[in-house]
Amino acid sequence: MVDVAVIGAGQTKYGNHPSGLKGMWAEAAEQAFASVDMDFEPRCVDEAFIGSVAFGGGQLGNTAALLTEHSGMEGIPVRRVENACASSGFALRDAWMAIKSGQADVVIAGGIEKMNDLSPERRRFWLGVSGDTEWERLAGLTFPGTYALMARRHFHEHGSNHDDLVNISVKNHMHGFENEMAHIRKEVSFEKAQSGFMVADPLTLYDCCPTSDGASAVILAADHVVRQFTDDPVWLRSSGAGSDYLALHDRPSITQVKATQQASAAAYKAAGITAKDVDLAEVHDCFTIAELMATEDLGFAQHGEGGLFAREQRGVRNQGDVCINPSGGLKSKGHPLGATGTGQAVEVFKQLRGSVEKARQIRDAEIGITHNVGGSGATCAVHVFGRDRA
Amino acid sequence: MKEVIDWQGYLAMFDEDALMIQSPFTLDGSIAFGSDSDYTTMAIAGLQLLFSRGIDITSVRSLPLVNTHAVKAATGVEVMSDEENDTPCEWNLLVGEEATLVFTNNLERDLAFHGPADLEALDPTFAEDMAAAWNRELESTHVSQGAYVSESAYREGANARLGLLAQHSGDALVWPPRQLDKHGERIPTANQALMARAKVESWTKLSAAGAPSEFALRAPVLGGIQTVFVQFEQGPRGVFLVADDAEYDPSIGDQVSFVVRRIYAQEGLIRYGMKAIPTN
Repeated sequence: MVDVAVIGAGQTKYGNHPSGLKGMWAEAAEQAFASVDMDFEPRCVDEAFIGSVAFGGGQLGNTAALLTEHSGMEGIPVRRVENACASSGFALRDAWMAIKSGQADVVIAGGIEKMNDLSPERRRFWLGVSGDTEWERLAGLTFPGTYALMARRHFHEHGSNHDDLVNISVKNHMHGFENEMAHIRKEVSFEKAQSGFMVADPLTLYDCCPTSDGASAVILAADHVVRQFTDDPVWLRSSGAGSDYLALHDRPSITQVKATQQASAAAYKAAGITAKDVDLAEVHDCFTIAELMATEDLGFAQHGEGGLFAREQRGVRNQGDVCINPSGGLKSKGHPLGATGTGQAVEVFKQLRGSVEKARQIRDAEIGITHNVGGSGATCAVHVFGRDRA
Repeated sequence: MKEVIDWQGYLAMFDEDALMIQSPFTLDGSIAFGSDSDYTTMAIAGLQLLFSRGIDITSVRSLPLVNTHAVKAATGVEVMSDEENDTPCEWNLLVGEEATLVFTNNLERDLAFHGPADLEALDPTFAEDMAAAWNRELESTHVSQGAYVSESAYREGANARLGLLAQHSGDALVWPPRQLDKHGERIPTANQALMARAKVESWTKLSAAGAPSEFALRAPVLGGIQTVFVQFEQGPRGVFLVADDAEYDPSIGDQVSFVVRRIYAQEGLIRYGMKAIPTN
């Protein structure tokens, strides 16, 4: 079976981006092309998979063809991949499978979302579009509400509390402070995060990720062509994925995300690792409770002990068992929905190659994972990256 | 008047051959609807009260102030209009000038019911803002942003939404409805009514700024929207808004019951559904 390597990765800065879709994607692709160590041109790419959710309603059809056309890759097979906030996590999985299957040697996987260009009248477009529209949204639930229900239940079942979530928020803002690509580069004190504006009780503003524009791209290559492009590849050792009921009320438990458990179990098994082997994890913290639960579902903490994990600072860079969200995560780096999954891969690629800002570098990192969730856990993709091939 | 009871957030008064149901609120001296009630929601509450007293009704005659589709989905009762005079109806639904309804099977009798005097006065500013919000929602040009539940999708799910009808799938009850099971077999049509009581497993209150566009006009007036995540006694779980007029701060473990209220309006159509109220 073919092994797959990441040979390049790039992204825009997340936040209120001045460019439109074409400009943002071109910037991310340009960064990715430039990050390849040896000569690389867009025409080296055999196929493209680009994740996005909705673009605020614009250019829903043939998005990927438009974007590749504006990044020098016209003519190759392309498609848009949509799985809510896990769109580009699944684009990455599709790209990995295209190479594993032998259909392509060099593939680009990316994601993009333009969220902040909507007028005030259209700004509610994004609220609740990826939940169970008929049953959750019409009960007034958007994702802050959905995750608030999970948080309150986790507090009830496991004795976690809002201060545990505050610890996660403070950590991720601290991690993101030095990240030049982050949307919110601001450290936040415990007291400030504790007393934020209530968005969906018990979640405050400091428990919620921002609404970001952004694009990201990673370039994958088959083992037999890798050396044409780099002597320092990062190996994409495995891809795992899972799904679950869309609506919370259909799931046996709302304090666990089965899709994450499935995806991580499959990815760890295929990579021949356990959670203990992971040095850094880019985790889908759209809300702080999502990170707390993910630390359990990914195996970094026992079920019900995610609060304790946060309290004991076990996810802090170069301090805890594993660095959780070295980029600042969705909370600080930002969350341009469709771009988030491959944006996580950009961070892991750079961390494993030792090329992030010095203050952010994780010491001796060998294995990193990305964890990208769609909706409140209906879909999930987990990828394992390593300095070593296996 | 033999008795006055609090029923699904309304006041109900029985007589030998009639039931009067009215809103518990007043505005400027008149009986007025609460913020998510109307003649349709009161008619459904009235029919459910009659059912609970063992009175079997299959059809009523009424003026067209009642949403016949919602009443049918929630109760199974056909509402006939005056134009359908050929169809026999034992019961009549009379709509009052204020927020009152009378069900009777004796139009010859004196229907001068007198409700209790100690009704709750609505804040005029709140009532005005809420009425204005509903009026804007009811404009045919008012549409949702992003996700959208079409009229046909709403009607398709109405029996489950308004009647809490669940499906049998093996030994389990399924609600809301689902299509195929794990064997690829179609799950039978919903025909088992869930008990309209459930236990709160979680809850949240969403700030007005975060409300989906369906609720964006009214959420600021209400100061946010409150949702409970519940488990029914028979197993299925669901999420429900708390009724606007319910003075209720939920806690995990609470028992709630369900009443039909307005959910939102769009493209000129009011969509009704169940909302939670605390169980006394």
